[in-house]
Amino acid sequence: MTEDKIKNLLQQADKAAGGANPVKVNVTVIRRRAGRKNMITMVAPFASAAVLMVALGILAFMFRTIEPTEEQKKIALLESRIKQLQARTDAALSLIQEVLEEEQRQHRLDELHAKLASISDPLEEVQNQVDKTAFVLVYQADRLYRELNQTDSAVENYNRVIKLFPENRWAKVARQRLSEIERRKTNNTI
Amino acid sequence: MAEKIDDARLVEQFRRGDKSAFERIVKQYSADVATLSNRLLGWPGDVEDVTQDIFLAAFVGLKKFRCECSLKSWLFTITINKCRTNRYKRWLRLRRFPQEINKVSLSLDSEEKDMDADEFRHVRRAVAALPTRYREPVVLRYLQEIGTDEISRILGITKNTLNVRLSRARKLLKEDLAELIEL
Repeated sequence: MTEDKIKNLLQQADKAAGGANPVKVNVTVIRRRAGRKNMITMVAPFASAAVLMVALGILAFMFRTIEPTEEQKKIALLESRIKQLQARTDAALSLIQEVLEEEQRQHRLDELHAKLASISDPLEEVQNQVDKTAFVLVYQADRLYRELNQTDSAVENYNRVIKLFPENRWAKVARQRLSEIERRKTNNTI
Repeated sequence: MAEKIDDARLVEQFRRGDKSAFERIVKQYSADVATLSNRLLGWPGDVEDVTQDIFLAAFVGLKKFRCECSLKSWLFTITINKCRTNRYKRWLRLRRFPQEINKVSLSLDSEEKDMDADEFRHVRRAVAALPTRYREPVVLRYLQEIGTDEISRILGITKNTLNVRLSRARKLLKEDLAELIEL
């Protein structure tokens, strides 16, 4: 029932709208447009192919490989030989450079060795100084004892030598002197 | 049946290159196509342009027409597709220029003045506002008065789907036009 009502209502509304205006379909225009459409449909693959060919042609031209002539081959051969020679020269130069550097290094090393050899042994130097000091102390003590007759100061100096440089040969001398002084004192007392 | 035989003959003549065959097809069906376009595009639409496009598509595709359905059904199928495209294009245009929408509604308002006209305008608006999947079956069934078998063939849907869509369309229209239906 409702369906019928809706149908009636729709039909009345459609009728009230007055229907479509009379339409004039122009067959000639349709034929022309269809022809154009057909042409586009037919031409499109060819056009695409042409564009593709042109693109490929451009690419081929960009990345083309041309067969070289005899002269070009010779030039190429010469160029390659020159390159080889240059490479060899470079290698020889680099070897010479390395040898020179090695020589320089060796020379420098020799110089350093010589310098090292010329430097005196610090321990020996110290030993010399010690020896010298001990000698001076013993010499002064001898003078005090023999020339100035200051036995106590001389004994003090000998003892200092023995205390400071017990292993030194002048310590031995100092001990001899002390024992000599001691002996003389004993003799004098007797 | 006679119509189908006539269609087949016309198509055959067209295939053989008879120029008058297509003119006869246009003469025979242009009014029906224009009426359907007018209804599908929502009273009124760009009927003239759409009809021209429909017959152009028919001209291009007629050679492939296999006479499995009537020529009228085939033309209606093209009409449906062209109207969908036209509505979509119009929707895109209106979306880009929203002020056009007001102009369209104004032109509708100025057409009719009296009470009945207002009601009918309301009905047509309700139909035009239906989603495409409901509007097309409604127009074909209730305005073009085509049988459900043929409609399902034209729309490319099963009969069950068609009935469901018609039922839902009626429900929507009933909701929208409740006052008018009760009268």
